[in-house]
Amino acid sequence: MITATNPIFSCYEHDQAHYDEVFNAKGEIKKMYETLFELYCGHSIEDYILLNNKAKSSFFNQGITFQVYGEKETKEKIFPFDLFPRIIGAEEWDHIEKGALQRSKALNLFLWDIYHDKKILKQGIVPVDLIGSSANYLQAMIGVDPPGGVYNHVSGTDIIKHSDGEYYVLEDNIRCPSGVSYVVCNRTALKRALFGVFNHYRAHTVTNYAENLLEILQSVKPRGVDIPTCVVITPGMYNSAYYEHSYLAKAMGVELVEGRDLYVENDFVYMKTINGPKKVDVIYRRVDDLFIDPLEFRADSSLGVPGLFSAYRKGNVCLANAPGTGVADDKAVYTYMPEIIKYYLDEEPILNNVHTYHCSRPEELKYVLEHISELVVKPVDESGGYGISIGNKLSKQEIAEVREQIKKEPRKYIAQPIMSLSVHPTYIDESQSFEQRHVDLRTFTLLGHNEEFVLKGGLSRVALQKGNLVVNSSQGGGSKDTWVLKDKQ
Amino acid sequence: MLARVANNLYWMGRYIERSEHVARYMHVNYFSSLDAPNELSQDRQFVLRSMKFMVGDPVTDLEIQLDEAEVLHDLGLNPEKGYSIINNVKFSRENANSARDLISTELYEAINKFYHFVLNYDKELYVKRGLYDFCMNITEMTTILRGKIRATLLHDEVYAIIMMGMNLERATQIIRIINAKYNDALLARNGYDPDVSKSFEWVTLLKCAESYDMMRRYYKKAPSSLSTLEFLILNGNCPRSVMNSLDQVNKHIQVLEKSKNPGKESAAFFIEKIRAELKFKHIEEIEGNIREFIETKLEDLVMVADKLEKEFFNY
Amino acid sequence: MALDYTVTYSAENHYENLVKDAIWQFLIIPEDNDNQRVTDVQFNNSLDAPVSYSENSKGFRTIRVTPVKPFNDISFTANFRLVKDEMNPFDFVPPEDPGKDYLTLDSLEFRVDHDSYLRPTSYTTVPGSAELTFQWDNEKDIFTNIQALNSWVYEYLKFTPGITTVETTLQDVLGHRKGVCQDFTHLFLALVRKHKVPARYVSGYLHQGSGYFGDSQMHAWAEVYIPRVGWIGFDPTNNLLVGSDHIKVAHGRDYSECSPLTGVLYTLGENRTSHAVGVACQ
Repeated sequence: MITATNPIFSCYEHDQAHYDEVFNAKGEIKKMYETLFELYCGHSIEDYILLNNKAKSSFFNQGITFQVYGEKETKEKIFPFDLFPRIIGAEEWDHIEKGALQRSKALNLFLWDIYHDKKILKQGIVPVDLIGSSANYLQAMIGVDPPGGVYNHVSGTDIIKHSDGEYYVLEDNIRCPSGVSYVVCNRTALKRALFGVFNHYRAHTVTNYAENLLEILQSVKPRGVDIPTCVVITPGMYNSAYYEHSYLAKAMGVELVEGRDLYVENDFVYMKTINGPKKVDVIYRRVDDLFIDPLEFRADSSLGVPGLFSAYRKGNVCLANAPGTGVADDKAVYTYMPEIIKYYLDEEPILNNVHTYHCSRPEELKYVLEHISELVVKPVDESGGYGISIGNKLSKQEIAEVREQIKKEPRKYIAQPIMSLSVHPTYIDESQSFEQRHVDLRTFTLLGHNEEFVLKGGLSRVALQKGNLVVNSSQGGGSKDTWVLKDKQ
Repeated sequence: MLARVANNLYWMGRYIERSEHVARYMHVNYFSSLDAPNELSQDRQFVLRSMKFMVGDPVTDLEIQLDEAEVLHDLGLNPEKGYSIINNVKFSRENANSARDLISTELYEAINKFYHFVLNYDKELYVKRGLYDFCMNITEMTTILRGKIRATLLHDEVYAIIMMGMNLERATQIIRIINAKYNDALLARNGYDPDVSKSFEWVTLLKCAESYDMMRRYYKKAPSSLSTLEFLILNGNCPRSVMNSLDQVNKHIQVLEKSKNPGKESAAFFIEKIRAELKFKHIEEIEGNIREFIETKLEDLVMVADKLEKEFFNY
Repeated sequence: MALDYTVTYSAENHYENLVKDAIWQFLIIPEDNDNQRVTDVQFNNSLDAPVSYSENSKGFRTIRVTPVKPFNDISFTANFRLVKDEMNPFDFVPPEDPGKDYLTLDSLEFRVDHDSYLRPTSYTTVPGSAELTFQWDNEKDIFTNIQALNSWVYEYLKFTPGITTVETTLQDVLGHRKGVCQDFTHLFLALVRKHKVPARYVSGYLHQGSGYFGDSQMHAWAEVYIPRVGWIGFDPTNNLLVGSDHIKVAHGRDYSECSPLTGVLYTLGENRTSHAVGVACQ
């Protein structure tokens, strides 16, 4: 029997408090990982360090980097990549895939409803105040019919495995979810470094994402267009996700444009090419809502295209994702997801939601204020992991501060029980050994006109700091290649 | 292709080419001066001034004593100087970045490596004893980039635009180098040897353009002012000559110019015109009036760039 | 009886430094609705820059101008002709039981339907500290209360041009109790909405033949949604119900959604802008 006494895993410490995805409670390797474990144990730690450094420099030379906005200077960093992959079995994946798709579809119907008939609000299932007062509810979108009836063409669903071994959704990202390029890069990097391991597992490919995205974009073409011209719009090369924008444009074979490359004439959108203007039909946008059109939204935006919104409103161009989707990935709306799924699909939610306390409700506010040390408190409208307080990590004084903050603006905060993210063996540079680190999973779901696709794989993000639960790249997270197995076991 | 991206590709090409010329000019001049036949050509100050002159930052006041480390730093790794190699490489990478979806992964990776090489080069080492290593690496890496451009890009509009930028820059840099070395030759004249035509500086000039061996093979005798200028300006077979660079620009602009008969204001027409002028030029005509020739050619090249910008890169 | 109106709008812009890239959007064309019909739209600019027509997010017609060449000065002139029906703002039956309408205001369906116009915006937020003397009387019907509020705002503020700008908030207005039509309208909207009645900002032109306040700029007033009746116009600047002297252009939640001119341009240095409006009735 293989045990964790082999050199490469010799320093691996099991903390029983966490759900380990690779080892069971007795410290034995789980069946799915047996072959992999054996293969990895064939390497010495020195081999491993070498491979790891090679993978790192390959990311760096390929320019697969993101910018970190520091106090003084902006630094170029690679997204740390871990060579020990995460494996998700076929049956387990089935469950995740169905659940992610169910959520995306429900969110799409929800968005249509709140920008049209508002039935769910009139029936009091979701409070009207929650929507009406949300900064992300775009008045301009009221009554607008997005081509193909799709709002959230791309959804990134953040899922974790709790200590009970069940999957929970933490967040639905339906504005401009990023990370998919890293899924592809991680796979490429792992193949280059340890191609041998792929011979022993049948994992689904992840490189088909771009072709599926292109198909989805083409399916939501404006009326009367035969073969649509699609483009990707980026805020520019200084954006932290620029690599991803350029990767997607390149992989789809479409132009990567900036706002200044486009203009609107008579409610049609054109791009400026070396051979003159060319009409644009579908825009995969990676520019935030309020920056897409200075005439309609923020007048000081130089990233957008003046008049773009009126062209969209007329149905002459499709924007993916639609403007105004942010209202539905609001953390307060998240808490109504079970009701939203039931209301529109008449189904039970496949994936669990984390129980949420709304600070806007007096009795729940009271509970939150009394139990801050056991809860995660989050602002409703911040992304990227900013402004999150994790109760059991706070000092007494910090707890008092958080309490004051919540009291000041209860509407701004929600609280959830501290979820225990599962852990996965992760190679740690400083100690030159494998250690338990928390992981989550972002899946990517695409919705088009009568088309749908869930990427079989995803971004397993790792919190590299010991004990840290925040996995965002901007907060020092890394990632793992994630294999979805083809065969049921 | 987007007009803005075309502009980026064009400048990527120009900056890659420019960094190579600055690097070669520096090390060739520096090392050939070490055992130059006359005193002035051997003088450190003379060489440093020549370098500053070439990049367009001339120091004419003879009272000023230039500091070698400072001048080398300025041209090589000083991020404050627009003409420094580090800036040229930075700009070429920035331009490549914004056209990243159009260029090959291989080319991008090579540019990125180039950038990291320059960025991480030890500044102390460079000014003390790294000049040769640094400059050789720059010229070699630009050669690799040229290879990647030729071999990993589809020879379509993208390729044509990059090549146009590189060749236009090459023509410009060769003229600038001629100008700088002509200036040196004039300064190096002295009582014993008043003849500019036999100056040692012509050999250096040819080496600066990586054309010394080609020239020796072609003329089979020591270079004079006449033969050097003829070779570097008019010889279409010399891949470094102004004529050859313009031929290349002309060839690549044909890919972009859709009209059979480009109008008289177009860039394509104007390039043909400059080529025609050079074709029927005698080197004797140029030699007598080299200052004026250099000035008008530089103006012409600026005009070509302006026209390209208006026609293709206007966004 | 129908009235024929001619509206002229002009604007002049001067920029200290040459402007290379600019786009303007005008929201100045009178609306076509039940009681007004636009018969002619003329729009010119001094640079002969291309002009195109579009719609804003609420469906109101906009005019866009995009100069091709760099400039320092540009002027715009617009001429509109329209026919307006004489209207009687009291043309509805007052409710027998006002209580019913208050129930409507409280119903979830009504609140959802009119959510946009019930919610305070940054322009229509009354600071918590403000002490306002207006008393709403639940014994009386909504319309009567709104009319009283219209008069109250008219009395409370003093029409004074030049003190406030398009960025002035209610906080400042309530401090000095002076302002122009925008300020009157914003205060009115804030108070109507506070009483759970939907209200929206209207921009338009006022025919000043009868000596109303409104200087020679575009005018602003409000529309209030009265259950069973619909949207009714109130002009708190003049203590009037909106009638045939009011030519509507657009409505929105507040000024920010009705701004007659939005410009996107990149220039440094000083610039001067002036507008003028004229309304004539034939």
